[in-house]
Amino acid sequence: MELVLDSRRGHPARKQLLTPLSFSLIHAADFADRMERQMLPALKAGAIVLADRYIYTAFGRDVARGLDPQFVREIYNFAIRPTIAFYFRVPLEESLKRILIGRPQLKFYEAGLDIGLDEDPYESFRLFQCQILDEYDRMVDEFGLTVIDATKPLLEQQEEVREIVAPHLENVLSAEHSAWREALTEEGLHGRYLESLVPEQETV
Amino acid sequence: MSNKQGQFYGYDLLAEHIQDCKGRLIVLEGTDGVGRSSQIALLREWLENEGYAVATSGLKRGKLAGKGLNEAMEGHTLGDTTMNLLYATDFADRLEREILPALRAGFIMLTDRYVYSIIARALVRGVDPHWIRELFSFALVPDIVFYLQTDVHRLVPRVLNARGFDYWESGLDFLPGRDYYDHFVEYQRRLLAQFDAIADEYGFYRIDGSQSMHKVFIDLQVQIENVISGMKPTLPPSNGSLEVPTG
Repeated sequence: MELVLDSRRGHPARKQLLTPLSFSLIHAADFADRMERQMLPALKAGAIVLADRYIYTAFGRDVARGLDPQFVREIYNFAIRPTIAFYFRVPLEESLKRILIGRPQLKFYEAGLDIGLDEDPYESFRLFQCQILDEYDRMVDEFGLTVIDATKPLLEQQEEVREIVAPHLENVLSAEHSAWREALTEEGLHGRYLESLVPEQETV
Repeated sequence: MSNKQGQFYGYDLLAEHIQDCKGRLIVLEGTDGVGRSSQIALLREWLENEGYAVATSGLKRGKLAGKGLNEAMEGHTLGDTTMNLLYATDFADRLEREILPALRAGFIMLTDRYVYSIIARALVRGVDPHWIRELFSFALVPDIVFYLQTDVHRLVPRVLNARGFDYWESGLDFLPGRDYYDHFVEYQRRLLAQFDAIADEYGFYRIDGSQSMHKVFIDLQVQIENVISGMKPTLPPSNGSLEVPTG
């Protein structure tokens, strides 16, 4: 993965060498690498893979950049169809408020400045996000995305998500037996300080 | 001969780039060691002497992903899907930033391999044939594609002379075992079979690559003269006659 990311994040990106097409393809390469080396082996082993964004992000972003929706879908047809794809939906204004609070430094591509919607990064970002959200709304039916109202309190959303996930958890690989986890459970502790001693787990 | 120009194989993702396209896209295809680069060097000199503006391009030479692709190949760690997407990234980068601008400016673009080599190497490795064609369907249809044909046994001495057997050109990434010679022969045999099928599919102009370099060159010249008829040289032809190696 690092090789792919390097060629994306190294000098070329800073010099803004990417066009909508090469932007799409290099991200697809990065995704393919994670698919081939992390997600597929883990799924074959029977593990649960939690993916923070998936092909839908690419579809929304690349189509908002003007690529043909069918082309982008063909490119990603090697991706495994997820058991469940959640779409945490917030209205545009809310999403902009959350991201733009404190006026962060927007990245060139993140703000869609490469496609010339507006010279002002914030206005460009607003227009770009608006198009991406439109794409997401179109994809809800096309891919059967499970929509979660992300304006609700976090815990409420989490309960909803767990209820939907629960029926799918039968026969999946269980985590390895862990002595310290057992001790924590028996004592009713959370292990706040213990967690920091444990080497970070490889997340898949 | 430029009747195909202005067309892409599938998606017109880059259509805006080829308005008023005055140049010609000429592709040389063929397996490793068949003499493509020598022919391109000869053609470039000849065409420039005739007064044409000539540019060249080749696989893995893009600024964006060329380096990453070469490093990935040294590491031997990436999967087939990832490799092909990196090839596609490199190709898109060169198409948009080298090939199409040169064609718009009226250059004759000589390219050392095109998408067909990438497609052939993918098919040999068992990549989904539909997917790989869709992936490269944004490619511009060249004015002519030459296929320098050869067979494995003519290839072996050329490759040994040049630089020895290479990991990828011997298919060691997917064939079982470690024997370079056996694998080179087996891999190139499969690759040539794929090239043969692709040559028909995309209508390549076949040239017998086992002929002398001079004969191949003359065959190329005759065909290219047809392709560039109607183009105006940007400069008057130079008086220097072109020396062509014989034998």
